[in-house]
Amino acid sequence: MPALIIIPAYNEARKIKEVVSSIKSAGDFDVLVIDDGSVDETAVAAQSAGAIVLHHKINRGQGAALKTGVEYACRQGYETVVFFDADGQMSAAEIDPLISKLHEGYDVVLGSRNLGRAINMPVSRKIIKKLALILTRLTTRLDITDTHIGFQAWRVDALKKIRLNQDRMAHASQLLAEISRLKLRYAEAPVTINYSDYSLKKGQSIFGSFRIIWDLLIK
Amino acid sequence: MLIQIILIVLIAIIILRLFAKYKSREVSMRQLSGWLAIWLLASAVIIRPDLTVRLANLVGVGRGSDLVIYLAIIFLFYTVFRLLLRIENMEKNLTKVVRSEALKEHNRHE
Repeated sequence: MPALIIIPAYNEARKIKEVVSSIKSAGDFDVLVIDDGSVDETAVAAQSAGAIVLHHKINRGQGAALKTGVEYACRQGYETVVFFDADGQMSAAEIDPLISKLHEGYDVVLGSRNLGRAINMPVSRKIIKKLALILTRLTTRLDITDTHIGFQAWRVDALKKIRLNQDRMAHASQLLAEISRLKLRYAEAPVTINYSDYSLKKGQSIFGSFRIIWDLLIK
Repeated sequence: MLIQIILIVLIAIIILRLFAKYKSREVSMRQLSGWLAIWLLASAVIIRPDLTVRLANLVGVGRGSDLVIYLAIIFLFYTVFRLLLRIENMEKNLTKVVRSEALKEHNRHE
């Protein structure tokens, strides 16, 4: 069975087709796009590029969309899944190396910009990421070089054990906390993240980090 | 004092509306009695502020109105906390419904 590439997408009609096609041509992968209540043509664009599309009737957030993807993967009997972003800042060519690394005997392989490269990353974001990394290393005791990156390869067996109830962006912290709690075998692999004007506009603002901390505290 | 009259009139209106809602079965007997107790207590405190002064002195607070504000703040914080939990629960349930719909819809198409 091929690996399933899970892409949460919210109003990504402009980029999603290109992203799905690039994955399809990078290898023998099944691509699942979770259209998270988009008001544009995201679903149609994704489908036309050959993706399987699941449709959230209302926007529930990236964490919720990923979990829907995981649920689908479990039901369909996939063994390997890769989390990928819809905004075109990740490189499809790096999916295969991530999966190869996973097959060396890990439960999860996390992409790392610090081992790889971050192109055009704004300074404000560098500072926030650095703080988040320090905080994450302290709270999870994971020995990692990068944090909150959506590029990850997972064994579905390991994913099944994980509690994932953060609907919005705090899910990324929750995943790391769960890796630590369940003592999963984890590794990092270098990835390249190319920040374009488009992906920056679609991405998180600094205020988003406050929201994440709030979500983590009260839930 | 004028403020007493204004507050009493406001509370009277609220109580009247409460009874109207009870008649149209928007609120249950339990809700009616609960809210009625709260508003009657509020009127008692407004008409006889010295009641709160005595209570306040009893627990070691200088002014009656201070005691009322302390209690009100505690009550409000607790209410906000309860509401947050409830909203959180609703959001989670909403996500579950949306997810199961998404997966179901897909099965139909297959």
